[in-house]
Formats: sequence, C-alpha cells, structure tokens
Amino acid sequence: MLSINKNIDNGKAVFCLEGRLDTITAPELEKSLQESIEGVKSLTFDFGNLEYISSAGLRVILAAQKLMTGKGEMKVCNLNETVKEIFEVTGFSDILTIE
Amino acid sequence: MSIGRKLRSNMAFNIIGGIVLVITLFAFVVGAIGFVSFTNSFKKEYSTTTYHMADTATSLVNGDHLFDYLTGLEMEEYQRTKRYLENYCKRMAVSIVYVIMVEQNGFDYFFSIFNCVNNEVDNTSYVPWELGHRRQTTNEDYRQEYIKLYNKQAPYGTIYRINTKDGNNWHITTLVPIMDSNDDVAGLLCIQRPINEIYKARIPYLITIVISTIVLVFLASAFAVFFMKKQLIGPIRKVSFEATRFARENKKGEELGDISSFEELANLAKSIDTMETDMVSYMENLTVITAEKERIGTELALASDIQTGSIPNTFPAFPDRTDFDIFASMDPAKEVGGDFYNFFLVDNDHLAMVIGDVSGKGVPAALFMMVSNILASVRTQTGGNPAQILEFVNDKICESNKLDMFVTIWLGILQLSTGKLVASNAGHEYPAIMHAGGGFELYKDKHGFVVGGMEGVRYTDYEIQLSPGDKIFVYTDGVPEATDADNNMFGVDRMLSALNFEPDANPEKMLGNVRSAVDAFVKDAQQFDDLTMLCMEYKG
Repeated sequence: MLSINKNIDNGKAVFCLEGRLDTITAPELEKSLQESIEGVKSLTFDFGNLEYISSAGLRVILAAQKLMTGKGEMKVCNLNETVKEIFEVTGFSDILTIE
Repeated sequence: MSIGRKLRSNMAFNIIGGIVLVITLFAFVVGAIGFVSFTNSFKKEYSTTTYHMADTATSLVNGDHLFDYLTGLEMEEYQRTKRYLENYCKRMAVSIVYVIMVEQNGFDYFFSIFNCVNNEVDNTSYVPWELGHRRQTTNEDYRQEYIKLYNKQAPYGTIYRINTKDGNNWHITTLVPIMDSNDDVAGLLCIQRPINEIYKARIPYLITIVISTIVLVFLASAFAVFFMKKQLIGPIRKVSFEATRFARENKKGEELGDISSFEELANLAKSIDTMETDMVSYMENLTVITAEKERIGTELALASDIQTGSIPNTFPAFPDRTDFDIFASMDPAKEVGGDFYNFFLVDNDHLAMVIGDVSGKGVPAALFMMVSNILASVRTQTGGNPAQILEFVNDKICESNKLDMFVTIWLGILQLSTGKLVASNAGHEYPAIMHAGGGFELYKDKHGFVVGGMEGVRYTDYEIQLSPGDKIFVYTDGVPEATDADNNMFGVDRMLSALNFEPDANPEKMLGNVRSAVDAFVKDAQQFDDLTMLCMEYKG
C-alpha cells in the first residue's frame, strides 16, 4: 500500500512516497533509507501522493532527521491536509523543514 | 468386501492371473494352428499315396475295352482283370476298388464296370455293384471331380468323407482317369481307403500340445510368481504398506532402501524414504515451534495482565469523591499495546490525568509505554507544572532511546477546589471539552514535539477554567483513525457526534457511546490500532 520512488543524484536524494505510511509499510521506507542514505547531503521527502502517516511512519521520518543532522539538510514537501495536521498535532512541524 | 471382489482388486492376483490367461490363450491358438496344419499335411500325404496306388491300379485295366465289357464283349479279359483288381484290393488293404464310366451329358449318372470290395479293411458291409449297374452320381463333390477329370484338368481327384451320415467310418476316395489308346478318358478308377489312421495319429500330437501348454503355463506362472513378485509386486506392496503405515502412525519406519531393479520403483521407494524423513523432521520442528508459540502466548498473556494492572482499572475509581467523576478504557489491538492512560490524586486538591500513545504497536511499544507511564506518574507525584514534567520525561527517555521511538503525551492537572486545569500537550491529539449546557468541541491547544523525539525540547502549559458540569475527553489516535473495511476513517467529526449524542451522560456512558459508534462504523474490519479514551466530569 506504499510505493517508494527514489531518485539519488550527486548527493541529492528525493523520496517520492505514494499511499499510506503506517505500521505495515514503515519498515519498507526504513530499509530503503538505510540502503541509500550513505553519502547523501540533501534529503527530500515528497509527500505529494502520501494519503496518511501513522506514528510508525513519523518514527522513520524522525530517525532520518536525526541521521541527517550534522551531515546535511532534510526537508519534506507537498504535504496534504491530513498529513499536515498530523505533523502539526505531533509537533513535527516545529522540528522539520516543511515546504 | 467379498473374497471375489478382493481378488479382483488385488494387484498380484491380477498380474499373475493375466499372464497365465494370456499364455494359455497363446498356447491354445498355437496348438490349434499346429493341429490344423498337421492334419492338412497328413491329408495331403495320404491322398498322394492313395493316388500312386490308384495310378498303379490303372495299369491293370485296358482302357480301350471298357465299353466292350458293358456290352458283354471281351468277357474273358474282363474276368481276368476283375481277378487282378480283387487281388489288388486284398493286398493293398483298400476298402473298395471300382471302375466306372460316367455319362458325359451332365455327369449325373455312371455305369459300374468293376467293383471289388474288401469289407475286412474297415469293417464295412458293402455289396459289390454288378457290371453295368447304373447309379446316380452320389453328390455334387463327386460330380465336380468327374467333370474335372474327364476334361483332363487334374491328374487325379480326392474326396474326403468325414462325419458322413451314412454310418460309414471316415474315408478317402481317390479318383484317377483310365485312358484309352487315343489318350482320351475312357473311365475312372476309384479307390476308397479308411482315413482313421490320420485321426489316430493326431491324438499323440494333441497330447503333446496339451502337455507342453500345461508345462509352458506352469513355467510362465512360476516366472510371474518369482520374478514379478520379487521385482514388481513385492516392492509395490512394500511401498503401499509403508505409505499406509506412515499415514496412520506418522513415525519413521524402516527404510525401504533399494527394493527393485525397476528404476521407477526404486525412485518411488527412495522418494517415500526421503518424504518420511522430511515429514518427521518437519513435524518435530512444528512441535517445537508450536510449543514456543504457546510459551510466547502465555508470556504475552502475563505481560498483558501486568500492563493492565499498571494503570488504574477499578471503577468507580474514587467512590468517596463527589467533586469529580472519571472513567477510562484501553483496548490494545494486540495482546499488549503502546497506549496508556493514568489518573491519580497528586494531593487532596489536585487530580492528574495522563494519556499517551507510543509510536508502533505490540511488545516494543508496550515496554516503551511502561517506562513512559512510570516516569510521568512518578515525576508528577513530586510536584511541578505539566510542561516541566514532560521536559523531564523527554530528557530521561532520550538518554536511552536506541530505536528512535517516541510517545505523544497529554498531561493535565486539575485543581479540584477551583476547577483550574493546567495542561501540556507533547504531540498528542487535541482534547475535547464540553462546557455545561453545551456540546463537546476540540480544544486546539498549543502543541509541543513528541516525547522521546529530541533532547532538550521545551513544552508550554496552558490553562482552562472548568465549571461544574464541564467535561473533558482525551483519546488516542486509535479513535479517529479507526478504519472500516473500505479504508475510511472514523474521524474526529463522528467522534464528536458520538460524544454529543448524550451530553448529560456520565463519563462511563460517554466512553460506551463512543465505543459503540466506532464498532458500528468499522463493523467486521480488524481493529488495527490501540484504542484508548479517558473522560472526566468536573462537578465542583
């Protein structure tokens, strides 16, 4: 229920997510990130087609944010209303760069 | 099952019986063919011999005078010739020697010239025909032979009289033409010999065939029994018995090993051996896994009891307090969950209420939940504002948070004497507040970051003034995010409607209403997330 489309070019990684990022699909994203985060200076999550994110998904985003701290920058973009609200309620919007 | 049916379905009986049957049939056919060809060659040999005998006899007869004999001329010669033929008849051991002249217009009648009978040869009672005796041709066979011989189309003719109805023994009649000096056919000389010897000679032959057939069938059966049984039927029965035994006992038996020289059977036996070994080890593994699963299940049940016991779950919780009423429930999606609630009196005037939701589910979330709950409640007992408490809990958790897990917590402390609620929200759902006489509405409080997400996070407190009759409802995301079979979420709006269905109900009834609405919405879909609610009514 989640498709991950990643594009890595010269230290710039863009992860386009489509579907639901929940308990079942979060480990997929975690694994995908672990495989490709090496040497990445700029990490972008494109949530344009992400319908929903659960706390398990937030955990992976938080882990990614921690990994990128000191190594480069990380941002998330194109949040829909549901996802934006979840980010706000959980306080994630305060610690992430959201465009 | 009757014995007959049992035998019909028994492979050994079928195969061996089949072989015996086929060989018997084969022997029968070969014997019959041999018997017929033996009879034919014997008949041929016999007729040739008879022809030579008859041919010799013609030299005794003067072909030029046959007609004269009929008319009474040359009777001296006739009598001499008749004596020769009678002698011949006796010495050559033939039943009859006769000479006839056939009427050539139709070949339907003939005249007897000579007729010598030797009734001793075949125990017959023929009476010799007189000279000139006119007789009708015996049957069509004879007529055809007459025509053939008179037209010189064959050197001689043979007629077999077998199974005759006139009571005579089986015999053979050979006919040879008597030529005159112009090389025309003047008459026919016929010899009749008994043929019984042929049939007598066939009996030893028949006996030989019958005996050899019996021997052959016996040998074939012996082959079938010994070879087929050893190499085919025996092994198949072994495999069959072994498979039946294994299906019944589920225990490894003696290895079948190399049971047949037939490759297919040997492979089948090997496969059965391998299958048994694999099945047995599979079953052993399964037993171990099942035992392990049961053990884990027992531990989870205990863990579930411990978790439930770690939060207040006796209601009414404060039966002697009339200034407030509180009710809460927690339904984990699995045996143990990551949600929690807690409430307790910090002192006689202060009621602390906590609700939290750990990221993830199951055992990891449950462990995290226990730590968070204990840290939060212990810290709350020592006094301080909700924000201070949350900051303490956050820093403590961040010190040892290996898995980047976090927990959202709403913590409120109500001063019961004044109705002043001080609360702080670490990334948790908005609380719903109902002021007496109104309906429940979400209170969009100021949110801090989740607990455990990052060290040194600051939280802020906010204040709500409650009046008697006011209620506050806090919950985890399992409520609005309860999902039906079509992936639709219950949502905050439905939750508020359920709360406002009976705004005057007590907290326990409130929670019951929300739970019923959630159940009616998700129907048969599996509960996916932990579902936790807490409702408090301030009575003043």
